[in-house]
Amino acid sequence: MKLSYVIKRVLYSLFVFAVVITLNFFIPRIGVADPAERYYPPQGNMSDIEYEIVKQLTREQYGFHVSTWQQYLNYLKGLARGDLGTSFRPGSPKVMDLITERLPWTLVLSVSTMLIGLIVGVLFGVVAAVKRGRWQDTLLLNASTVMVALPSFFIALILSFYLGFEWEIFPAYTDSTMVSEFAWTWEGISRVARNAALPVMSMMVGSIISYAQGTRNAVIAVTNEDFVLTARAKGLKTSTIRYKHILRNSLLPIVTSLGMSISGLIGGQVVIEQVFNWQGMGTLFLEANQTNDYPLMMGIMLLLSGFTIFAILVTDLIYVLLDPRVTVGDKR
Amino acid sequence: MKRLWMGVKRRIKGAGELLAKIWAHKQGKVGLIMVSLLVLVAIFAPYIAPYDPYDVSQRTTKGLPPSREHLLGTTINTGQDIFSMLVYGTRVSLLVGVTSGVCIAFVGSLLGVAAGYLGGAVDNLIMRIVDIMLVIPTLPLVIVLTNVLGRDFWIIILIFVALGWTGLARTIRSLVLVLKNTNYVKAAELAGASRWQIMTRHILPGTSHLVIMSTALSSAGIMVAEAGLSFLGLGDPTAISWGKMLAEAQSGGALLFGAWWWILAPGLGIFLAVFGFMRLGLVLEEIANPRMKRTSSVYKLFRSLDSSYIEEVFRSMDDYTKIGVPEATYGGGQSHGTGFEA
Repeated sequence: MKLSYVIKRVLYSLFVFAVVITLNFFIPRIGVADPAERYYPPQGNMSDIEYEIVKQLTREQYGFHVSTWQQYLNYLKGLARGDLGTSFRPGSPKVMDLITERLPWTLVLSVSTMLIGLIVGVLFGVVAAVKRGRWQDTLLLNASTVMVALPSFFIALILSFYLGFEWEIFPAYTDSTMVSEFAWTWEGISRVARNAALPVMSMMVGSIISYAQGTRNAVIAVTNEDFVLTARAKGLKTSTIRYKHILRNSLLPIVTSLGMSISGLIGGQVVIEQVFNWQGMGTLFLEANQTNDYPLMMGIMLLLSGFTIFAILVTDLIYVLLDPRVTVGDKR
Repeated sequence: MKRLWMGVKRRIKGAGELLAKIWAHKQGKVGLIMVSLLVLVAIFAPYIAPYDPYDVSQRTTKGLPPSREHLLGTTINTGQDIFSMLVYGTRVSLLVGVTSGVCIAFVGSLLGVAAGYLGGAVDNLIMRIVDIMLVIPTLPLVIVLTNVLGRDFWIIILIFVALGWTGLARTIRSLVLVLKNTNYVKAAELAGASRWQIMTRHILPGTSHLVIMSTALSSAGIMVAEAGLSFLGLGDPTAISWGKMLAEAQSGGALLFGAWWWILAPGLGIFLAVFGFMRLGLVLEEIANPRMKRTSSVYKLFRSLDSSYIEEVFRSMDDYTKIGVPEATYGGGQSHGTGFEA
């Protein structure tokens, strides 16, 4: 039963991934007959013949000269080898190389945001759940409604204005040489930390509050379960019930959701990276958008979606393996 | 004709009652006032704005701090009156937010009801689409689509609707799975009502509270998303919007020259609009079901139901909570956030 569920689940994830890949291939081709036109839009100063020649060269360089179906197959073949395609940038770098260069810098921001959010948020959420209806709880509710209405880039601008420009506590823009001069020394790391301070702070508040809200709801939901009542009826100490019964059961979904939230986090981080000129995947994506570099854009999208699919799959499987209460229905 | 008139009259009466209920709620009053104020500002923008927001030729008024003449100061590089820009920005924000919110409500409830009631292949298809859209990162996808399809105002709304209906459809579907086993639906089936009639006459009204609430909440979410998009310079290039004002403030040197008013004004505009709509949405949720309080709607839902149907809900809940986690991390208590909040 369990094994068949695992197989089914893996196959389903592969199916979703296949659809995402197909969408990735076709979205840039919406509305144009010839992908070369996306790469090289008609220029005013160029005669028709010159433009045709340029397009023909582009087609051959990027493999657009074969039929769409063949291109799709080539794309799949490339993916199977871990090749996300070739960027439209001068020098035709591989998309994979561009991404791996920027990925660590993006992860610096998102992982630290997530960790701070998780630790502080869970603490706060537990407090709010325990003190349900008192001021701690009300504070959380009000803070979360306020935070959802405040866009992160606005917070980023405010922080950069006061902490960056007015009081000069943290750099308001990322050093342009931070990435190129990075070394695994104390100085290199502290420099990254200083530069990351404002971006992380602008995303952190929202992250803390959402984890806190999630924890609060989960803890309260578990508190209402029958087994907690049973434990109480057995006469266990309140603290034992709290830590052994309630916390353990309510933290499982939160911890397992980490994997899923990270790619959403990276997606939302695009704006923050832009504000602070942080050289991560977000700015890479925006650069790609400005230059109509579709292979690069779709490569980043594919990577993020693939990661989410994987994270959802792992989370689901962990649930099945760990939690005996999750019964596997026939529906999916 | 008479029947139609009676229907209209009943709708108006219902809407009036709803408004009265919101008004009676303390926080609902706040939300309602904020939202109606915004609507008025958006409609009468030309009469409210003291200056022409598009006028970039005022060389004498560059970078003025807030004063009696320029309530929120002026911009540094072009000398535009920020208060007037803010007033005009209401139009874009509200129009994109509310139009998308209403369309999302329409599409989401239709597909949700179809998936829940018809089941089988339809359900399978719709829910698979939902699953697929859940894994693609939203903001990057919006950016790619604006790149491919263009950045026209209506295209942006279309993209938001196309990507925003999934959360609502999921929630509605779980509710419909319960409703379709209720006695009155069974009775209607036995009486020989067609499936279309049952869906529109008997099931859809049962989901109306969710739909109304989600319109308010997704409008709020779309407003934030639109602000983010225009902040990145990817919104409609011809319109004045709050996100674009923030972007111009950053690139125009507001940070460098200490023009705090230039940053605060559009930010507060976004905040007030989104906050007003959210308040309204949350209050509507409370009015719709006073027993549900401050946990996710679906969870609340099955607690207030007849126990014999809980299992079915729980099954749909199960993949809801598992896959729906990103939603829970966004909107705090709301389980059907649009997922657009950047």
